[in-house]
Amino acid sequence: MAMIPADKTKDKFARIGALRPVRRRGDTESEAPRDASEFARLLGATAERNRYGEHLSIRRWYATPEPCLTKMDERARRALRLLLPNGGKESAAKRDMLLASDPAEWLFLDTETTGLAGGSGIYAFLVGLAWWDSGGLQVEQFFMRDFGEEHSLLLALDERMAKRRVLVTFNGKSFDWPLLETRFRMTRAIAPRVPAAHLDLLHPARQLWRPRLNSVRLAELERHVLCVSTGSRLDWTRENDVDSAMIPELYFSYVRGGAAEPLVPVFQHNQMDLRGLAALAGRIFEMIGGPQSNGDGTAEATSSATDHPLDLYGLSRLLDRRGEPALARKACSAALVAGLPIEHDRAARRDLARFAKRAGDLPGAVELWKSILGTVPGAPAKLNAVAPTQSRTLERILQRTAAGTAAPASDGGHLRAALEACEQLAIHFEHRARAFDRAAQFARQGLALLDRAKAGRRMDDVSAGATFCRKWQARFTRRLTRLECKALRASHLITHQSVDPVPNEL
Amino acid sequence: MSNSLAVRTSKDTLARVREIVEQLAARDASGEVITAVHHIPAREAAWAAMPEWVRPELRAAFAAKGIRQLYTHQAAAAEAVRAGRNIVVVTPTASGKTICYNVPVLNAVLENRDARALYLFPTKALAQDQLAELHDLAERMDNAFGVFTYDGDTPSDARRAIREKGHIVLTNPDMLHTGILPHHTKWQRLFENLRYIVLDELHTYRGVFGSHLCNVLRRLRRIANFYGSTPQFICCSATIANPGELAARLIESDVEVLDGNGAPAAEKVFVFYNPPVVNRHLGIRRSYINETSRMAQEFLKRSLQTIVFANSRLHTEVLLTYLQQAFPTSPGSPQNVRGYRGGYLPGERREIERGLREGRIRGVVSTNALELGIDIGSLDVAVMAGYPGTIASTWQRAGRAGRRSGSSCAVMVASSSPLDQYVVRNPDYFFGRSPEHAYIQPDNLEILVNHVKCAAFELPISKEEKIGSVDLPALCDRLAEAGYLHKTGDHWHWTQEAYPADAVSLRSVTSDNFVIVDITGTPEVIGEVDFSSALTTVHPKAIYLHQGEQYHVERMDFAERKAYVKRVDVDYYTDAIRYTQVRVLEIADQARLTAGGEAKGRDLHAARSHGDVLVRSQVVGFKKIKFFTHENIGAGQLELPENEMHTTACWTTLDRALVESLPYPISERQDGMRGLLYAMHSVATLLLMCDAHDLAVAIGERPPSPGVAPDGWEPAPDLEALKQGAPEKEFFEPNLYLYDNYPGGIGFSEPLFHAHGLLLRKTRELIAGCTCQKGCPSCIGPTGEHSEHIKEAALAILDCLGTSAEPN
Repeated sequence: MAMIPADKTKDKFARIGALRPVRRRGDTESEAPRDASEFARLLGATAERNRYGEHLSIRRWYATPEPCLTKMDERARRALRLLLPNGGKESAAKRDMLLASDPAEWLFLDTETTGLAGGSGIYAFLVGLAWWDSGGLQVEQFFMRDFGEEHSLLLALDERMAKRRVLVTFNGKSFDWPLLETRFRMTRAIAPRVPAAHLDLLHPARQLWRPRLNSVRLAELERHVLCVSTGSRLDWTRENDVDSAMIPELYFSYVRGGAAEPLVPVFQHNQMDLRGLAALAGRIFEMIGGPQSNGDGTAEATSSATDHPLDLYGLSRLLDRRGEPALARKACSAALVAGLPIEHDRAARRDLARFAKRAGDLPGAVELWKSILGTVPGAPAKLNAVAPTQSRTLERILQRTAAGTAAPASDGGHLRAALEACEQLAIHFEHRARAFDRAAQFARQGLALLDRAKAGRRMDDVSAGATFCRKWQARFTRRLTRLECKALRASHLITHQSVDPVPNEL
Repeated sequence: MSNSLAVRTSKDTLARVREIVEQLAARDASGEVITAVHHIPAREAAWAAMPEWVRPELRAAFAAKGIRQLYTHQAAAAEAVRAGRNIVVVTPTASGKTICYNVPVLNAVLENRDARALYLFPTKALAQDQLAELHDLAERMDNAFGVFTYDGDTPSDARRAIREKGHIVLTNPDMLHTGILPHHTKWQRLFENLRYIVLDELHTYRGVFGSHLCNVLRRLRRIANFYGSTPQFICCSATIANPGELAARLIESDVEVLDGNGAPAAEKVFVFYNPPVVNRHLGIRRSYINETSRMAQEFLKRSLQTIVFANSRLHTEVLLTYLQQAFPTSPGSPQNVRGYRGGYLPGERREIERGLREGRIRGVVSTNALELGIDIGSLDVAVMAGYPGTIASTWQRAGRAGRRSGSSCAVMVASSSPLDQYVVRNPDYFFGRSPEHAYIQPDNLEILVNHVKCAAFELPISKEEKIGSVDLPALCDRLAEAGYLHKTGDHWHWTQEAYPADAVSLRSVTSDNFVIVDITGTPEVIGEVDFSSALTTVHPKAIYLHQGEQYHVERMDFAERKAYVKRVDVDYYTDAIRYTQVRVLEIADQARLTAGGEAKGRDLHAARSHGDVLVRSQVVGFKKIKFFTHENIGAGQLELPENEMHTTACWTTLDRALVESLPYPISERQDGMRGLLYAMHSVATLLLMCDAHDLAVAIGERPPSPGVAPDGWEPAPDLEALKQGAPEKEFFEPNLYLYDNYPGGIGFSEPLFHAHGLLLRKTRELIAGCTCQKGCPSCIGPTGEHSEHIKEAALAILDCLGTSAEPN
């Protein structure tokens, strides 16, 4: 007899490609949520009940080595103004400011989820919250032992958010909060509560530390920013931290009836993320506003003495983008005085020249552009337009050029800075100083730089480099033609009128 | 003066067309070339008043566009929607179908500012075209409603506004599937207030695409219900035989069919042109491409604005070259004959569309890109190079010519494929009541399981829910066992990090595809083929045809599912030698066929059946076949893995007595069966509106009793035997299978079973009507040298099957 399958439906399913297993068979299955005792033993968890059911809650208080932001002084408030988005309406911005400037309203938030894809099938199974309390950090974590506990977890979260209305997150604007909004909407019962303000520290962190660190993941910041620069601030290390890519699978195993132990590192990971986040908030406020006043008047000591030069450069980028050019210029000067690696040195000089030009300090800008080109500085004779302290700083920066950064680097970043410097100097001498021969000299220098770059370029980066070079070549050539024409006319004293007006070059 | 392409109005279009047709007819003494000149008289509009309930601002906006009353079918549709019924409107092109849905939908939005509607179009281009129309209306009403397209091109910063402010969102099924449903929480406003769903071009949702769409709509209704809304459906379809059945299956609800048409039409002449036979023995005709070009030139010479449709990009370019050579413009001035196809830049396309509307461009050669929707005004003549594949799309292409007043002409130039030859020689098939049915099989498990995954991602599945006819709790348990879902209480939740919709394409059954990489220059992906056809089309050394270009397959990477190809220009194509065995697993229904064999007075029997089958196939080699002459110029052996597929089939069983009654040698009987099956396949694809690839054929020995097949399959015969095409041994009681060429089946087999009589009758018409003597690729397929009586044998079998009998 031919084999007749015992269960025909089963047989039909068996041949469906879309049913190919994605996990090993044999994991134990259990439907009912396990009691809290396992997590109570491992983590001190307790079951929290509300009208939607039950979930687990874990509370821990940490003494923090770093000062808590309990009250905001003027500097902190200034930092806050820079960190809050100013795109909204005036009145809304004011209200945000008022609320956010009370650190008692701050709620640090970080979630662990079943995936990063987004969409209504991704769950936040662990929601970690923290706030400053009694001179330390209070951490509270909500955990669902199964999908059925999500409602009560979300209600508890909503209650906490009602008490503290300012969210502080790391990448929460594009990840954690939209995901939680989706989870709230899925309940059809608890509307997502719009936070009064949301401080996402990812973007300021990127601006501050990208120059120094390649990665601005929180763990990297803890290691390189929170520990190193200010002595050992954190009393934990990530040595045994769980690989975050593993987290969803660890949860799925647990939900399908696996043991609780493998999840313990996930809770610890979340706790570290929250504590790191709180420490980072303090550090960012300190960087932007200067250190908090300790009440004994020692706060005036500038932070630049202890800051990494690249962090100062990062700070200047942040201040520049958030509309504080004067402060940005100061930070940029400090970074250059402290000494930057060559590729950032060029970029920082270019920035500083731009700040100087914008502030009306043209002689300063000219000297800086020259210094990018590796010109040994002549005595910066006419710096009288600048405040004395500023010119002293500038002198120190220009001295550094002589001290050994003159070697032309061949990398693209340097080339761009050098070409821009040539162009800016040519503009300056053409339109302001009206020294056409000097201007032409810089245009020619730009062309020479391009030739040298083309000769030294490797064959494999032709595609990107070719357009770049062609563009610059055309710009310099055009300028040079015009300058020669002008020079000719000037020498024949025919006219002083511009032959080919170039609007907006200044 | 250059060639006379200047607009002339001295003679009426129809008069000029008649002149051309008469010239042609004069040369066609046998009447074999012009097979039909079908005259469609002009028709008056049937008017109805704009319904009372239409709000004044909407009334005014339409009036400003010159629309003060409606055609009867538009009014009927608006009233039916107003009354809360699901409808499908069946109308020809250019009958104002958009008004059928825009009137009731816009009126509802004006009455209730919260109301929302979702319009689904099969392509992005169609949605764009509708957007322009709706924008125009919105502007006339002070932007009283918001209308947006939402597709892959929508910038991310605009998406939030669309979700909140879009009263009408225009999108396509693929975007709904991957972009909207999985993120439904962001669309809360829309789903909470979703009143109407418009499905335009409904007839395109058939076969695989339709089966997927049905499941996407199941998911859509599920999400709408979650937010407390039950949307109403408004569907529009071209003329097919079963619009109501298709709509009802797609939306799984009752649908009212509205097939009246109150739109006026100018008179029109439809000409079928079959290129003259060059070699009667081999059934070779003059090139239909050249004939199309000649025909188009005749029209252009007489100042008739003409659109030429080709079925491939390559043919578009070839025809364009011919026509531009025939009508050169002075250097520097723009061409007045232009090409149009996918791959042209959007700006260029808009310019061509405008040029056509304004009459500056006198001729255009297009792929099907201009078949649907896009507004190019109305031209004088449409010439089709080859049958477009379905009656519906032939009428849509023909509809590109035809102004409201004045007259127009459409010409179909047949190629030598069996489909074209059948249609051109049987004009009644085309001009009569449409026999084309659109079928779907949404409960195909391969398709359904993927959508159940997507559904679980979107919203946990409760144990009370129903999706199609599947045992949902059992399926969810299996998905849980496999690790996709987890059951908590009464619900199954999604337990994967990945996003299931991303891995599911609505255009194929399984996502197991081969990617085709062109390595002629910089490696570039040029296409995809699904697993089963990859074995026959992109095996090593195959000539792969893509958009009319030839590519040689250099290497096939089985593990990575990639085929590397290089562009070539050769005079042959390859035909994979595939060894196929079919085993019947379960017979769903069976019926005896009353045999005809009246001459012999013997009791000859045959049967038709449909049910589940297991198809095992292996590609063992390939033949190189020369173009045009079909000479076999070489062969090669291949070692490719075997492929097994469960699917559904409809088959005809020939009893022993019937086979023995055929007065031919064994080999000719067998070849006759193959020839018959070749022709049946062609006809079946016509009836089912499907691609040739969607349906496959095989001949097999009927096993002693169904379900109890021999334990092992027979080993594939050696290559030499297969190359000859002759079977090793004689079939005792053969089954002629037509099976759905997709795992799980796509819903063709049962309809074929029920339309078996029609299938046989039309097959007979195809073979008997072919002018060849002993069989040709236009009827029973290419034949070998020593097969004198194959065509006769095929016809004899049809006689025995009683093709004159009425269908059950």
